[in-house]
Amino acid sequence: MEHKITAEDKSSTYVVLPAYNEATRIQPVIEEIARKGYNMVIVNDGSSDNTLDVIKASKKKYPDQIHIFSLMINRGVGVATQAGFEAVLRYNPKYIVSMDSDGQHSADDLDNVIRPLVTGEAKAVIGVRPLKDMPRSRNYANAIMNLMTRIFYRVDVSDSQTGFRAITADALDKISINARGYLISSEFIREINDNEIPFAEVPIKTIYTPETQAKGTNVKVAFQILLQMIRHQF
Amino acid sequence: MFLYAFIFPIISIIAIIWFIERYIHNKNSLSTVILWSVFWVFVSLFAIFPEFSNSFARLFGITRGLDFIIILVFVILFYTVLKLYFLVDQMQNNLNKIVKEVALNNEITLDDEEE
Repeated sequence: MEHKITAEDKSSTYVVLPAYNEATRIQPVIEEIARKGYNMVIVNDGSSDNTLDVIKASKKKYPDQIHIFSLMINRGVGVATQAGFEAVLRYNPKYIVSMDSDGQHSADDLDNVIRPLVTGEAKAVIGVRPLKDMPRSRNYANAIMNLMTRIFYRVDVSDSQTGFRAITADALDKISINARGYLISSEFIREINDNEIPFAEVPIKTIYTPETQAKGTNVKVAFQILLQMIRHQF
Repeated sequence: MFLYAFIFPIISIIAIIWFIERYIHNKNSLSTVILWSVFWVFVSLFAIFPEFSNSFARLFGITRGLDFIIILVFVILFYTVLKLYFLVDQMQNNLNKIVKEVALNNEITLDDEEE
């Protein structure tokens, strides 16, 4: 029988949301997570639109569940997530999740993603996107990145570029994330592998819209990540 | 004698003085001054005695002096670009640290709005 996630499990879970120019998309994401009883650390990544105002408006509705930090200039999803990971440890969480704030990921998957952590089956989880739902260009880029992650970081995973991941607080303390941009996905996997942290893959839903497709790992981003992976070898 | 035989030594002297002055004001390391001084001395030698570049090129297995100079310029440009790349990379890391530090020390609360 599937382990039921309790209200206590949810209240000891913090979701890190890096947000860059997500004013039109982030509000339903935040409020859906809050309604489910999870806490959040939202990092505004120097957005040039009114993302920060939208986040503040949501905080007024859920003041105790939302913590906001804002980078004064845009530094990339990697830096925003690093800031979120550092900030979240102040609130003594048991479990930490990071997911995209553009509505690409469904808050319905939060229970499934933290379940292996709650049951003790794993200390880190990566949410695996179904390949059949992925746009073709994204699919190719992802296949290349999975191969590169296997070559350079010696880890074999089904989806190396997923932004939906979860980790226990003690495991987060062991890993070190330095990536600035989308390399963070592969770096997270490398770190949990290098630190021998047991991890699980959990299938997740992905909602692709023209806006969400414009972000993330396309062929150009894949090339940039490849260069960074090569550089990290030295 | 060609005009460049006068111009390049003058440029070289100015460049070497400039590097020495920067070293005196602690803006350059001694190795940078030596490296660039050697480079500019060779530029002057090649300008004044063009045949010198030929004999120098043969040392490296290159037949023409001009080819040697072109290759040398490429090597120097590549080194400069690489050095700048690492410098920018280091600055980006420092900038990230500062931006994160400022953000983490200033959690945004609803009280901020009311003020």
